[in-house]
Formats: sequence, C-alpha cells, structure tokens
Amino acid sequence: MMKRESAATDRTLAFTLKAGAYTAFILVLAGIILRNWFTAGAAVANAGLLVLLATPVLRILVAAFQFLRERDFRYVLVSIGVLGIMVLAYVLGIQA
Amino acid sequence: MSLAPLLLLVGIGFFAGGFGALAGLGGGIIITPLLAIYYGLPMHTAIGISLIAVIATSTATSSLYVERHITDVRLGMTLELATTLGALVAALVAHHVNRRTLAVLFACFLLYSAISMARKAWGARSRQESPGIPDYTIQNYPLGLVAALIAGGFSGLLGIGGGPIKVPVMYLFMKVPLRVATATSNFMIGVTAAASAYVYWGRGDMQVSIAAPLVAGVFAGSLLGARMSSKVRSVWVLFLLIVVTGWLAGVMVYKIATGAF
Repeated sequence: MMKRESAATDRTLAFTLKAGAYTAFILVLAGIILRNWFTAGAAVANAGLLVLLATPVLRILVAAFQFLRERDFRYVLVSIGVLGIMVLAYVLGIQA
Repeated sequence: MSLAPLLLLVGIGFFAGGFGALAGLGGGIIITPLLAIYYGLPMHTAIGISLIAVIATSTATSSLYVERHITDVRLGMTLELATTLGALVAALVAHHVNRRTLAVLFACFLLYSAISMARKAWGARSRQESPGIPDYTIQNYPLGLVAALIAGGFSGLLGIGGGPIKVPVMYLFMKVPLRVATATSNFMIGVTAAASAYVYWGRGDMQVSIAAPLVAGVFAGSLLGARMSSKVRSVWVLFLLIVVTGWLAGVMVYKIATGAF
C-alpha cells in the first residue's frame, strides 16, 4: 500500500513535471504562432525547448529533495548518483 | 514554414507521443528515421531533435502517471543509475568492443522479448482485466540491474533508445505489472535522453523550426495517450510493444546482414 510520505513525493514530483511540461508547451506553441508575424517567435520557441531540456535534471533534484524529506537516504544517494553520472557524461562529451 | 508541413510535423509528433505514452517508449523509433529520410536531415540533427521529443513524451506522460501513483519512481531511479552507468562505461570501452557481436546479442534479446511478450499476450487474451494496479513485489532485482546496465551500454554503443529494453526487463524479468513498467520506463527515458540531448544541443544539432511543431504534437499526443491509458487493455499495449520490438529486431538483423556493424 502507498505510504503517505510516498504519496506526497509523487504529488510534488508530478507538480514539477506538469509545471515544466506546460510551461514548455505554451512557450513552444506561442513561438510557432508568433513566428508568422514576429521574428521573436523563434526565440520564444527556443526558450520553450530549453525549459523542456531542463526538466529531467529538475525532476531528479526534486526527487532527491523529496527522498531527503522522507528520510529515505538510500534513494537520495541513488538520485545524486544519476545526476553525477549525467554531469560526468556531459563533461566527457559522451553520448549516453 | 507554411501550414501544411507544419501540421504534418505536429501530426507526426502527436502519433509518436500517443504511441509512446502507451508503450513506455519515446517515439524516437518513428521520429529519427522519418526526420533523416523524409526530411533529409543529417543523422545527428535527426537524433538531436528526436531526443528532445523523447524528453517531451517522458515529461508529459510522467506528469500524469506519477500523479496517479502508477510510476515506480524509486525503481525508475535505481534502474536509471544502472543504465547511465552502463552507457558511460560502454562509451569509455567502445574501442575495445566488437560492435557486431553486440548487435547480434541485442537482436537476440529483442527476439526473445518479442516472443515472451507474445506468449503472455496469448495467455491473457480472454482473461478479464482487473482495474487498477495490483500490488506487486519486485523480483530479481540484481538481474534487473545488470540488464539495465547492459541496456545502457547497448543504447550508448548502438544508438538505440531505452524503452524497448526497459519495459521487457521490468515486465518479464522483474515481474512488475505492465502498466507500472510502461509508466516507469516513460519516467526514465527522459533522463537517459537528456544526458545525450545536452551534448547534441551543445553541438548545435538542432533545428527549432522542425523541433518546435514536433514537440507541440508530441505533448498533445502523449498527454492524450496518458489520459486514455487506463482505458486501453493491456493486451493492446503488449501488442504495440511486440510490434515495436519485432520491428527493431528486424532492423538490427538487416543492419547486421548488410554489414553496418
């Protein structure tokens, strides 16, 4: 059965995901529509894509923070581990 | 870009997103070849755009699946650790490895997956489906981790996405319910894709005029797919997965036969 703390984690994580998804979606959509009249449209769409690119890192950070609040230290480590490997891969220019 | 090509991109994204939301994939399997062949984009640009589409699917679907407590976030994080580690290690030892052997092994795994899922689907075809998520215990954790590690290595070396590997590993090996497996896979692929996407984006392997409408379509399609997922019988999800896995296996065999490795 779902623990109460875990349910809270899911809610917070879901909120973060939704915030990221909808922000990116709206920006991208606005960018596409605006492109017909303003050159700035491309920049808006670009911003949307950047927000999108940021969401995976954000979700790991939020998850790690939530695990910390739940005192689930094992998964704090796991989350940080994933982040660490991602950073390492980027620094080394490796495609995962 | 005029309206018709724009809408076509949105449509492609919509289809890929919906399909990915149900099967636990990112839709990259459809998008990458389409961009490269139909739109004539250079391969690395096609991959770069496809990776962004995968992140879009992952974020959109997870926003719903996590909220509904279908996604197993802990399992996803753990497997993700194994996958990214596997990809890192594989990339570092890439030169010492025979890609052909890898490709053959991968094709064998895909075939085994497709057949196993087909057998499960056959067994479940007349059974009534119980609503909601059954309680489950994850089994074969070590096996699952090793499989994820290897999967990460495969995807890094062969450039193949994670969904078709992750879902079968969770569903067949770790005895996780299908819906949890697809939802958790959706959660993970965004992270895996991001790791590579940053590299591609940094190199400029992007085309906003194409990526933007595609992503818009993917968002819409995957949100719709995620919302409707509870109404889609597991048998159909399995069928979708079998088709994709079988297709990938076929592509691998073709590439091996024509000496692409």
